[in-house]
Amino acid sequence: MAGKFATLWATLKKPSAKYSLLGLLATGFISGILFWGGFNTGMEATNTMDFCISCHEMHDNVYQEYKKTIHYSNRTGVRAVCSDCHVPKDWTHKMIRKVQASREVWGKLTGTIDTKEKFEAKRLTLAEREWARMKAADSRECRNCHSFEGMDAEKQKMRGAKMHKIAQDEKKTCIDCHKGIAHNKPKGMKEDEDEDL
Amino acid sequence: MKKSTLSMMLLGSLLAVGTQAAFAAPDWAKVPKRDINVFHPGVSPMEWVGKKSDHSGTAGLKKGETCIGCHEEKGTLNFDFKRLAGKDMEPKGAPKTMMYPVGVQAAYDASNLYIRLTFKAPAGGADQGDKENEVKATVMFPDAKVQLANQAGCWASCHNDARTMPGADDKKTKYTKEGSYELMQWKSAKGAKVANGTVTTDRKMDGGTLGAQAEGAKTGDTYTVTFTRKNPGEGKTVPFGIAIHGDHASGRFHHVSLGYTLGVGADGDVKALKQ
Repeated sequence: MAGKFATLWATLKKPSAKYSLLGLLATGFISGILFWGGFNTGMEATNTMDFCISCHEMHDNVYQEYKKTIHYSNRTGVRAVCSDCHVPKDWTHKMIRKVQASREVWGKLTGTIDTKEKFEAKRLTLAEREWARMKAADSRECRNCHSFEGMDAEKQKMRGAKMHKIAQDEKKTCIDCHKGIAHNKPKGMKEDEDEDL
Repeated sequence: MKKSTLSMMLLGSLLAVGTQAAFAAPDWAKVPKRDINVFHPGVSPMEWVGKKSDHSGTAGLKKGETCIGCHEEKGTLNFDFKRLAGKDMEPKGAPKTMMYPVGVQAAYDASNLYIRLTFKAPAGGADQGDKENEVKATVMFPDAKVQLANQAGCWASCHNDARTMPGADDKKTKYTKEGSYELMQWKSAKGAKVANGTVTTDRKMDGGTLGAQAEGAKTGDTYTVTFTRKNPGEGKTVPFGIAIHGDHASGRFHHVSLGYTLGVGADGDVKALKQ
């Protein structure tokens, strides 16, 4: 085995006598583009809503809830799909998130949320995990579209305008308040002691 | 003329004068009216109001913001009424009319404060628990010890374990954890007694210190209820809240106002006119 590996390594190290350097470079370049393009296309395919709701766990639960919210349907027709909120846009964080998502594949295979009852039983755990991720990232995915600077308080309802002022003063992040805006809030949410009356 | 007849006449005139003095009602046509919207609050007791995951405005309340500071806007209340009428917040079913205005006027003299409420209580309620009274009109005044007394009106008396709340004790009335409310209530049933009560560890319909009296009448579809209570003192601003039980509603199935202030020769959301 070790002998075969050494032979392969020696062959790879040996300069090519048959192919030109330009040919090798061009082949490597084109292969690189094809590989990278293919990889990215594959990854982007997993970022579409169709991909997410191809699992009945998503389709029958969170998708149905999301369809009733403003992120799905609104006056201007701008739609935020699953990945807009749940997958980072920049490459590094996206890759980290995608690797983490392999855990969801395991969940799918073992059927941890494959019935309504199982989903409801796990809803709080799943939500808390996602809220923690969003908070740690300072609601980065929300801020891809929303920003305090871009808000016109005059056009907001008073209750929103006042709360946004407090949020800015206290350096709060979107997910501190906006939980359950696209999916049902889980039962038994834990409260931060300093936040209640 | 017999002596007894003369005495009766004298007594009669004295009583008439006395009654007039007790109801030295102002000329309401000259008293400014402010509309205060009352709404069906669903199951949103104090515990709900103070829990951030239910009510994100908790953060505002903690900073001293009033309910109306966030929710009263452009002559209406900016609630998410769909949420309020939904199953989560109103498991029993919401009334057809979630919100309606109550005209509020106030005036005072040396001894009394007069408050007049004018409203059309709509039909289509989800609860007809009070067979005797089609309508009840209530005004409550929190003292300074009541939690959020200057911010949240009657809310500190409303709890998730009080009667008509889902799964709650049938006999438990509204109550406060600290401080007390003075309560006055007019009922539409003929001969019903005006309540002059308090809310402390429980709700009592008499024994209050307001010396409350009330007169009410229905003209067409409009109710006019005039309360007379002891003047709290010129220069004072007192917090208050209104509740209307319309369409035979009982318990929590009332339409309520948020917390407002009444200025007696002082500033307030409603300013009482000096007589």
